[in-house]
Amino acid sequence: MLVIHDVTKYYRNKLVLEHISLDIPSGSCIGLVGPNGAGKSTLLKILASIIQDYQGKVQLNNTKSTFQKKVLGYVPQEICLEQSISAYSNLCFFGKLYGLSGRQLKKRATEVLEEIGLSSHAKNKVLHFSGGMKRRLNIGCALMHQPKLIIMDEPTVGIDPQSRRHIFEMIRHLQETGCTIIYATHYMEEVEQLCNKVAFLDCGKIVEQGDISTLIQKYTTPSVFVKAKNLQVTALDKLGQISAYRQGFLIKTEMPIAVMKQILLMYQANTSELERLELVKPRLEDVFFTLTGSELREGVHSSSKESSKIGGVS
Amino acid sequence: MRAMFLLEMKKNLQDHGLLFWMLILPIAFIILATAIFTSGSDEATKQQVIMSIIPGYAVMFVFFIMISMVTTFLKDKDTGMTARIASTPITPKFYLLGKWIPYMVIVWIQIVILLVFGKLVYQIPIEQPFLLLFLSLALAFTATGFGLSLALLVKTENMGIALTQVIGLGGAMLGGLWVPLKFMPDFLQTIAYFLPQYWAHQAFQDALNGVLIHKDFLQTILIIMAFGCGGYLLAVLRYPKFLKQARG
Repeated sequence: MLVIHDVTKYYRNKLVLEHISLDIPSGSCIGLVGPNGAGKSTLLKILASIIQDYQGKVQLNNTKSTFQKKVLGYVPQEICLEQSISAYSNLCFFGKLYGLSGRQLKKRATEVLEEIGLSSHAKNKVLHFSGGMKRRLNIGCALMHQPKLIIMDEPTVGIDPQSRRHIFEMIRHLQETGCTIIYATHYMEEVEQLCNKVAFLDCGKIVEQGDISTLIQKYTTPSVFVKAKNLQVTALDKLGQISAYRQGFLIKTEMPIAVMKQILLMYQANTSELERLELVKPRLEDVFFTLTGSELREGVHSSSKESSKIGGVS
Repeated sequence: MRAMFLLEMKKNLQDHGLLFWMLILPIAFIILATAIFTSGSDEATKQQVIMSIIPGYAVMFVFFIMISMVTTFLKDKDTGMTARIASTPITPKFYLLGKWIPYMVIVWIQIVILLVFGKLVYQIPIEQPFLLLFLSLALAFTATGFGLSLALLVKTENMGIALTQVIGLGGAMLGGLWVPLKFMPDFLQTIAYFLPQYWAHQAFQDALNGVLIHKDFLQTILIIMAFGCGGYLLAVLRYPKFLKQARG
């Protein structure tokens, strides 16, 4: 179990993280989402022991920080690899930093190359790799020591669908082996596909956290999309909240199946007029916008130590 | 630390720019300076000038390693490598040592090659080779110690290059590497005592001529290495801020 308790972080006078508390059970995969400047990367850096001057407590299975580093694999947002050496050498380098050596190191490097699909490029210089290959190797370097906790900061930025799928398969495999994964991203569909829990971070605070399906149920309403000839809004009024959408109408309702039945009944006599009838499932993205709003962000929120103190006093 | 050392050595061996700064440029300068300053001189004066130029230029050019050190540290900082390494169990002290020692080895090899070049081409005497080896190590320690602290202090590569010129060329000028100290004003001679270049140059000349006594050798080693230790301490103190500025 990873326990993040009341973590607060200032950069000079700017409040970047405010009383963050999060319990992450062993073996779970939690998505960390939030707009730019929400504090995701800062939180990940704290968890990865890169930032050590913060208030609060981070504890993994009641261990001390030095031990924590050995069981932790950090995949940074940037591609942090030595470009002038081979994929195999990069893996060996990171393996050595985690204390691997000799046969164990070679064996593990070969296994990881297989896992990330780069066995045939093992001896090639990273410099000549595609973006997707570099991303996979970037992840592979964090897996050399078989960590129990893996922190991934936007690991799929700017890659092709094939590499993305491969990375997803790797993450699912890691989940099966019992790894705890913290996955920060802007892509909600990735969180829906990979994670069982999600935490929304905005302006340095966790605004909501929990089970993905529970949050979708809590914050969104399912909709039915209907497109038909000679369709009058008045005919749909009583079915739910109506809005125009892609030359048809979107009906927000708690009982989408019942609404679909009613619409089908309306067109029973003349089915050819009904062009489209679809159930629109709410997405995690809807929860995100509900919680964080849809206005553009400048990147960094700017509560200062002074202003937060004043706020606290008043 | 061994992993850091091996990686850094591997990278440096592939860097042809380093070969230029560390060997081609100093050899070219030695040849040029010797040709200019010995032209028309008698044999005794010629030998005296050569005995000043070769160790002088060897001492001056070791400080140019600081450019490579600044470049590699800033690159690591900007690519996120520094932050990533900080997430691994390696401690900051060993991280810095692992990055530092390869440059020490490179500079030590550089000094040895430049002195051997002087011996083969200009027939300079090498009377006390063991003392010279230790002096070379101490100088390598100091020049790269300066480089280490500079690499963690500067924010841009240009700033690093500019300060390297100040330390390398300024130290050479004030330390009597270009013009013998006796021809310089008194106050500049006093300043020279505070520069590692002066102490290294004097000891190198004496060891080449076979007149370096053990007391002076130890004194020089201690003074030179004190500068290097200062550089390392400054780097260790600066590291947390350097890490804060790092991407990743």
